[in-house]
Amino acid sequence: MMQRPSPLILIIDDEESIRDGCRQALEKLGYAVLDAGDGNEGIKIAREAKPDIALIDLKMPGISGMEIIEILSRDLPDMVLVMITGYATIVSAVEAIQKGAYDYLPKPFSPDQLRAVTQRAIEHRNLKIETRRLREEKDRMEKSFITFVSHEMRSPLVVIRQYLEALKAVAGDRLNRDMTEIIERCCARIQNLETMVEHWLDIRKIGEGAFVGKKEPLDLLYIIGRTAEEMAPICKANGLQLEIMDLPEKIPEILGDPESLLRVFINIIGNATKYTPENGKISISAKSDDYHVTVRISDTGAGIPADKLPFIFEPFYRVRGKEERQRGSGLGLTFCKRIMELHGGEIAASSVEGQGSTFLLKFPTHMQPGQRMGSRTTPSGRKG
Amino acid sequence: MTAKKRILLIDDDKDFLIATKLILEKGGYEVFLAEDGKTGVEIWKSVAPDLAIIDLMMETWGEGFSVLSRIRATDTGKDTPLFLLSAVDLQGPYNSFEPPPEFPKVNAVMQKPVKAEDLLRRIAQELGGKMMS
Repeated sequence: MMQRPSPLILIIDDEESIRDGCRQALEKLGYAVLDAGDGNEGIKIAREAKPDIALIDLKMPGISGMEIIEILSRDLPDMVLVMITGYATIVSAVEAIQKGAYDYLPKPFSPDQLRAVTQRAIEHRNLKIETRRLREEKDRMEKSFITFVSHEMRSPLVVIRQYLEALKAVAGDRLNRDMTEIIERCCARIQNLETMVEHWLDIRKIGEGAFVGKKEPLDLLYIIGRTAEEMAPICKANGLQLEIMDLPEKIPEILGDPESLLRVFINIIGNATKYTPENGKISISAKSDDYHVTVRISDTGAGIPADKLPFIFEPFYRVRGKEERQRGSGLGLTFCKRIMELHGGEIAASSVEGQGSTFLLKFPTHMQPGQRMGSRTTPSGRKG
Repeated sequence: MTAKKRILLIDDDKDFLIATKLILEKGGYEVFLAEDGKTGVEIWKSVAPDLAIIDLMMETWGEGFSVLSRIRATDTGKDTPLFLLSAVDLQGPYNSFEPPPEFPKVNAVMQKPVKAEDLLRRIAQELGGKMMS
């Protein structure tokens, strides 16, 4: 453990006899000692020399011990402060400790008492430093674990897919259909694993509060538009119709992070494309009142069995079905739910097996103080 | 027979280099490999390839940017096509990637793993082996 060879102790006291007495007693124990005759000098020395411990007299001309404690405990949180006081009342002791002192020493005191208090203060300081070191170590390990996962797990997967690409390019025309299919299946499974790693990382990031960016007033119609743009090719490739219907011309703004909400929408529609058979339909609609905007995403897919519906937002839960086009990571809906929660919103699902599923995303509207939403409705024409 | 066009590939993952080299050779190119940015810039100076493909995230994040800038700053690198490769989808909806306005020209940003046909098509577009117009 990194530590100074001998602890450095600062004595701030206006009485020279106390300073000398303490110095002698402490130096005898092998401590290095600095002293100051008044508060300003004491603070200056403390800031420069950063002693391990400061013994501070409560009553001094000029700046008082209580003020010194306040300043030093704020500026140099690692330093352990001990108050020396001639009139040791409980009140002043309590106040000193509230202001950041660790202990107090009533005058007059014997060298033994001084040693005992100093020893305790040093142990306290070592503990403080050790605790902080361990906390930093823990944070560092968590952070490097995430970096490890994102780099060390992802890059081999990327490389394997690149090799498979190379294999197809090199062997190309010499591969028969079975061989090509094997390669394609390998690619798909590796890609799934990559997605799972990515989703898992996303959920970790949400846990750290790092995922949702700065929230801003946001028009969900914009998010719906971008989602539709993004998902149109996949829907088309799977022979599905993507329909935006019943959209009001204007809906109240919400407060949200556009990128993470876009991911939520893409995720849900992505699920719908996986579970909806060809010629099916996915529809998005939205409605609002003064307090909420609700987006509804429905599909005409396989649906979710009633007994499985309560669990679909749980991590790694998957509804397995033969209609499924592609295996998911089991984390997509967990992700959506967490992001919705971070927006003060809710997500709910309903489903009729064999007919389709509907996801409702409900957001609180963003209201400026004093502003009433519903500028579209006339004052008397509010919906009941 | 015309000489083969030459491509420099810079990536700190040896396997990625080998796999991509196979694809490029299949496309009829001569390929030079560098496992770090410094070596990459050196090879660039001595070989003067027709195109370079640079991994964005090597030893440090964004190392590829600095390698690309250094190559652009060389005499032979002013107008040569330079591609950046990244393991994260920089052009997807989540990581919208826009190099700063003063940043040297990047001819293409592609996501790893890169599909053989996509890579060869983009290279052909840049190197004038005009495929279909």
